[in-house]
Amino acid sequence: MVSSEARKKMPTKSIAQEYIKGLWKENPVFRQLLGLCPTLAVSNAVINGIAMGLATSFVLIFSSIVVASIKKLIPSQVRIACYIVIIATFVTMADRFLQAFFPPISKSLGPYIPLIVVNCIILGRQEAFSSKNSVGRSLIDALGMSTGFIIALLILSSIREILGAGTFLGHQVMGAWFKPWIIMMLPPGAFMTLGILLALALFIESKTKKKTVKRTV
Amino acid sequence: MELVLLFISAVLINNYILHYFLGICPFLGVSKKIDSAVSMGLAVTFVMTITAVFTWMINHWILIPYNLDYLQIVSFILVIASLVQLVEMFIRKISLPLYQALGIYLPLITTNCAIMGLALLSALNNYSFAKAVVFGVGSGLGFTLAIVLMAGIREQLDLADVPESLKGAGIALIVAGIMALAFLGFSGMI
Amino acid sequence: MSLSSRMIIVLTSVGIISGGFLVSVGHLTKDRIRLNKQMQIEDAIVSVVPGTSSSQKLYEEKDFIVYTGKDNNGNLLGYAIYTSGTGFQDKIELMYGINPSLTIINCLTILEQKETPGLGAKITDKESFLNYWENRDSSGSLSLHKPAASSLEELSQAEINTITGATISSEKVLQIVNLSLEQLRSLKKDGKFGSEEKDAN
Repeated sequence: MVSSEARKKMPTKSIAQEYIKGLWKENPVFRQLLGLCPTLAVSNAVINGIAMGLATSFVLIFSSIVVASIKKLIPSQVRIACYIVIIATFVTMADRFLQAFFPPISKSLGPYIPLIVVNCIILGRQEAFSSKNSVGRSLIDALGMSTGFIIALLILSSIREILGAGTFLGHQVMGAWFKPWIIMMLPPGAFMTLGILLALALFIESKTKKKTVKRTV
Repeated sequence: MELVLLFISAVLINNYILHYFLGICPFLGVSKKIDSAVSMGLAVTFVMTITAVFTWMINHWILIPYNLDYLQIVSFILVIASLVQLVEMFIRKISLPLYQALGIYLPLITTNCAIMGLALLSALNNYSFAKAVVFGVGSGLGFTLAIVLMAGIREQLDLADVPESLKGAGIALIVAGIMALAFLGFSGMI
Repeated sequence: MSLSSRMIIVLTSVGIISGGFLVSVGHLTKDRIRLNKQMQIEDAIVSVVPGTSSSQKLYEEKDFIVYTGKDNNGNLLGYAIYTSGTGFQDKIELMYGINPSLTIINCLTILEQKETPGLGAKITDKESFLNYWENRDSSGSLSLHKPAASSLEELSQAEINTITGATISSEKVLQIVNLSLEQLRSLKKDGKFGSEEKDAN
C-alpha cells in the first residue's frame, strides 16, 4: 500500500497532459516516426486520411482498453502474441465494417486497412503504455495518440489534395488559374512533403526548447 | 511471360517501397550503411518468399474453401510471426555466421508492413501459386534495390552539410521522394 | 500453476475469445458485403445496357465475363461484357454494353483503375473519354483517333478518342476492348450464345 506522501512524489502526468502529449510532444507521426506507411499511402485525399485516421483510432482505443484490462493475466513471454491477436481482431472488425457499410471508401483505402494491424503505433502503445498503466490512463493515452495521428494525416492529406488536385474533400478550392501539381498525388510528392513536415517539426521543437533534441533515426 | 512481367513490375514499376509505401520503417532505420542494407534486403526477400508460399496455402486451402476470408488478417499475421521465429531459429542452427549477418533484422521484420502487405496484396489480386511466389521474390528484390540505393546515397549524405532539422528522417524522405520520381519513369514499360 | 501451462491457457483463451468475436463479425457482415458486390455489378450492367431489368451471367473465364441484359419482357437488349487488363500503371477493369449481333458498342464504363491521377485517370471522365464510346462500330477492331478530338462527329465510327497527355492509358483501354471483342467473336462462332436471344434488336 503506497502511502499518500509517496504517491504525491511519484511523477505522474495529469489526465490533460496524458492526452495532450499525443498531439505534439509525442506525436506518433511527427515525433515518434511511427505509422509512416499508411500516412504516406492514404494521404492523397483528405477523405481517405480521415477514414484511415478514424479506423486506426478505433483499433488503438479498443486494443488499449482490452490490453490494459487484462495486462495482469498475460505472462510476459506471450504478451506480443496476445497483443497481436487482440489488435488483429479489432482491425478485422473495422475492415469488415467498412466493406459492408462504406464500400467506396473501403476500395480506395485498399489493403491499407488490414495493414493497420502492423501499424507500429498500435503495437508500440500496448508495449510502452497500456501494459503498464490503468485502463483509464491507457484510454486517455490512446485518445491522445489517435488525435495526434489524425492531425498528422489531416495536415499531410490537405497539402497533398489542395496542391495536387485543387480540391479539399472533393470540393474545388483553388481557382481555375491553378494548375494542379500532379506530383503531389503521386509517391514522390508524399515522401517529399512528409520529409519537409518532419524537418519543420524538428525545427519548431529546437527553437522552443533550450536543450538539444535527440533524434530517433 | 506473364510471370516475367509480374517480376519486372514488382521490382521496378510498382516498387514495393517507392510505390506501395510498404516497408518504410526498416527503410528509414536500416538504410544508413550499404552492408546492413544488403543484409536486411536479403532477409526480407527470404521471409517474403516463404510467407508468399505459406499464406497462399492457408488462403487457398483453408480460408477460401470454408468461406473464412474474414480470418485473413489474423491468420496471416500469426503465420508471419511464427515463420519469422522459425526462420530465425533455423538459421541460427545451420549457420552461425549467416545468423549473425541476418539474425538481428529478423524480429524487426515481423511487425512491419512489408511482409503483411505482401500477403494481403497477393490475396487481394488473387494470384495463382506461381504468381504469388514470383511476386514475393520480386517484391523482396525491389525492396532490396530501393534500400541499397538509399544506403548508398545516405553514406554520401553523411559527408555533406545537411541543415540540422533536415538531418535523419527529413532528408531521407526527400531523397526517397526523388528516387520515387526517378522510378516513375519505369511506368508504361510493360 | 506452472508458467508453461499458464502461457498455454492464456494464449488459448485469447484465441478462443477473439475467434468468437471474429466469427460473429464475419457472419454479421457477410451478407451485406456480398450484396454490395452484387449491386456494384448490377449497377454497371444497367448503366452499359440501358433498360435492363434482369441479367444473367452467361459465360465466365478469367478476366472475362459475359452478362445478358434483358428487359421486363425477357427480350435480350444486349450483352454487358466485363473484362480487364494491364493499364499504364496497374490493372484496369471495365465493362461495356454491346448489341446482340456484336456490331455496336453503345457504352463503356471503367470499374477500377489506378492510372496517373489527373492524366490517365481521365479515362473515367465522361467529357474527355467515355462519351466517345457511344455507338461504336465493333464489327472489326476499333482504333485510336489521334490527336484528341473535341466532338464525337470528328471520329469515324470505328474510332475512339485519345486523351491529351494520356495516350498510353487510352491505348490500353482500346487494347483491352479489342482483345475481348476477339474472344466474343470466337465464342459466338463456337455457338456459346444465340439460344437466349428473343430478338429485340
